[in-house]
Amino acid sequence: MARSPERAIRIRASPDWRTLTSTTTAPASSASPAKRRPPKSSGGGLGRYIIVRALLIIPTVFILVTLVFVLMRSTGDPITAKLGGQLPADQLAERIHAAGYDRPIIVQYLEYLGQIATGNFGTTLTDNRPVTEILVTYGAATLELAFYALLVAFVVGIPFGLIAAYFRDKGQDASLRVFAILCYATPVFFSGLLLKLIFSVWLGWLPVAGRASVSAQLQMELLPNKTGLYTIDAIMTGNPAVLGDVLAHAVLPAIALGLLTAGVFLRLVRTNVIGTLSTDYVDAARSRGVSEYRLVRKHAYRPALIPIITVIGLQIALLLGGAVLTETTFEWKGLGFMLSEYLQARDFVAVQGIVALLAVIVALTNFIVDIIAALIDPRVRY
Amino acid sequence: MTSASKNGRRGLVAVAGLSAAALALAGCAAGQPGDDASGSSITIGTTDKVTTLDPAGSYDNGSLAVQTQVFPYLLNTDYQSTDVVPDLAESAEFTSPTEYTVKLPAGLKWANGNDLTADDVKFSFDRQVAIADPNGASSLLYNLDSTEVVDDTTVVFHLKAENDQVFPLILTSFPGAIVDDEVFAADALTPDDDIVAANAFAGPYTITSYDFNTLISFKKNPEYKGLLAEAKTDTVNLKYYAESSNLKLDVQEGGIDVAYRSLSATDIDDLKGNDKVNVVEGPGGEIRYIVFNFDTQPYGAKTPEADPAKALAVRQAVADLIDRDELADQVYKGTYTPLYSYVPAGIAGAVEPLVEMYGDGQGAPDADKAAERLTAAGVTTPVELNLQYSNDHYGPSSADEYALIKDQLESTGLFTVNLQTTEWVQYSEDRTSDVYPAYQLGWFPDYSDADNYVTPFFLIENFLGNHYVNQEVNDLIIKQASEPDPATRTADIEAIQEKVAADLSTVPYLQGAQVAVTGTDVEGADETLDASFKFRYAALSKG
Repeated sequence: MARSPERAIRIRASPDWRTLTSTTTAPASSASPAKRRPPKSSGGGLGRYIIVRALLIIPTVFILVTLVFVLMRSTGDPITAKLGGQLPADQLAERIHAAGYDRPIIVQYLEYLGQIATGNFGTTLTDNRPVTEILVTYGAATLELAFYALLVAFVVGIPFGLIAAYFRDKGQDASLRVFAILCYATPVFFSGLLLKLIFSVWLGWLPVAGRASVSAQLQMELLPNKTGLYTIDAIMTGNPAVLGDVLAHAVLPAIALGLLTAGVFLRLVRTNVIGTLSTDYVDAARSRGVSEYRLVRKHAYRPALIPIITVIGLQIALLLGGAVLTETTFEWKGLGFMLSEYLQARDFVAVQGIVALLAVIVALTNFIVDIIAALIDPRVRY
Repeated sequence: MTSASKNGRRGLVAVAGLSAAALALAGCAAGQPGDDASGSSITIGTTDKVTTLDPAGSYDNGSLAVQTQVFPYLLNTDYQSTDVVPDLAESAEFTSPTEYTVKLPAGLKWANGNDLTADDVKFSFDRQVAIADPNGASSLLYNLDSTEVVDDTTVVFHLKAENDQVFPLILTSFPGAIVDDEVFAADALTPDDDIVAANAFAGPYTITSYDFNTLISFKKNPEYKGLLAEAKTDTVNLKYYAESSNLKLDVQEGGIDVAYRSLSATDIDDLKGNDKVNVVEGPGGEIRYIVFNFDTQPYGAKTPEADPAKALAVRQAVADLIDRDELADQVYKGTYTPLYSYVPAGIAGAVEPLVEMYGDGQGAPDADKAAERLTAAGVTTPVELNLQYSNDHYGPSSADEYALIKDQLESTGLFTVNLQTTEWVQYSEDRTSDVYPAYQLGWFPDYSDADNYVTPFFLIENFLGNHYVNQEVNDLIIKQASEPDPATRTADIEAIQEKVAADLSTVPYLQGAQVAVTGTDVEGADETLDASFKFRYAALSKG
């Protein structure tokens, strides 16, 4: 019997489309209500869910930037923080007045919100640079580090989680669980220093710090359209040595930061795989003589990955927090590094801008992850 | 096998392949260490920071370190000399008590081809005064009334006070950099990228690549017509570090050729025993001292038990008890040296009045002498002294430094020290608001002259705001500043130090050395580590 295009779309829109495709010979009307949700309800639910989650970004970001503003201003105005004690009181007052920091706090707050809404974060106090320029220039570095760290987290966390589940309650499992605890319990700056000591100082295999060597960086500086993502820029130079140099510089920071998340992933994968291995359908497979390796590899692995996606949102916040320490330890000049620098210099304008952007990134990432999770697991939105 | 599991396996294979390729590439790169430090270029590492390249917007060592290489100065000092002589200028002299006339050679050019004339000179100083940026050094031009262009090669500085001997020194310093009037804005700071793009340089080097506080690449300027000899190295790269530990590791591992400012005392001490590097030391202009607030110190003028004689005895007892050698050796591993004068060693006019006047008369502490002074003045011991230091402004060793000072004072039983620390922002406000009876300060000179070590501190209206008043000292300071005869001026400066040492407005105790750590194949660091306190890259070469 020929299938109408309309019905095919309906079937694919259903969460259980794979089950249904195996029974396509059955009339659509005979499908069990428990197995096939009405298309209208499914599509509307997802759409509504996305809209609601998108709208929730606004109060989330609003609360975060408000907190940043309040915390920053609770310690005084930026001009006094920067120049207090260096300028005579009258000159200081003059500058505070000129910058508008003597106006009522609510007026300043509304102006601050207006600036953020229009993407104008002001100019840094210490080096007179537009904050948006800081965000663009250094945001790329942080993005690159976060990407590499996530890669490390996946490459280390998932296979080790599977191994731990496979060897449940045996020596290998115990060792990996301890390893996982060490991963997320060890402060990034400590693991970073340890990695540097071993791989840079003792073994001399990898660079001490920075994002690239001087020669590689100078070659990338010559590019007409730099992206700020050194991996991309290095590829654009067409010189494999530059790419190798950039990757060599990324190895230790990515491991230091990535292990933090890898530990979480390892524990999560292990728990979920073990949980899946005790489900009925796995028992059924086991009773048919399927080996434990195949059970883990083929039946428990994929379902166990779904929760990983849902925790990525949280892990992004953790990664960005960890990036401040990692970037400082490895001189990786990203937003975390600059945040630390501007905090030390009491440059509140820059700090406000960077923290606001990080807040937006975290909120947006969580939004995207929620949507992906909803697409993968329909139960999320009901 | 299902397509899903095939995809999963492919994904894993792809990730594994990607990781292996990345590690292989990284391994290749890591297998060629020292790329940066090889060839005809030199790479210098520093933890200093640039505020801005524009001389009107900066008053810090990090910015000056770059400006010195790329901007021309009318006057300067040659390597290892303290004499101020024409640099870009052909001649410079007082043509009347309030007129300082500078002549430029004809035909000077900026690296971008623009003419460098007297108009640029006037423009540079006028904009310094007009912009008066809070981060800038326009305050040093306090005695400049106006600048007049006579012709293309002649400019006259009209001064407010007569025979200002300090003004030529200021021309060698922060606000003395000359900028291109066709590139720089007259009434606002010019962005760094605009300056670099316009190649508005005329110093020994130009900047060819500029990544703010990350990496600067300098190239020898063929148009340079100044005091210094032609730069010995074509390309110099300046790499910025946030952590001195990373700077130390990189110079130690050969990733960079030179580390200049600022390695910790422990790191320098460690590197002294490393065969791969040379530790080069030069005279340092940085000093450390304790300031006494004459109103709030024990027996100060605004305390209930105010008594000038007892207050003086307390200050003298502190000067008797501080063991400078111990501080220099234990805390700073020899990277600082004992200081017994107000003008540090290496600068004309430096004498050491505190050696004879306090302690055992030879520079060591003397508890008996301190006890004697306090008893003679009728001071009840132990004296309770509130001593303050900043925990974030003078390096990580401040805590150790002041713990040791506390120990030195208390171990005699003559003092009970209440040691407190405050972060710098609050500290800066508190110290000028009479909150601290005695406190730590440090000083890095604006220009290499004794005047810069006495005028800011000991005039009646001074930077310290510690209520020290000595009219005789005040008058001598003003006199030396306009004394044209060098010998008389030096005598005045010595007299000022003798008098201040008797009053003890401050107790100086340490002088910092300039330290550069270089690869063993780098030469010239010893030549440029001089009393100008400018690290000039033109002197460096690599064998």
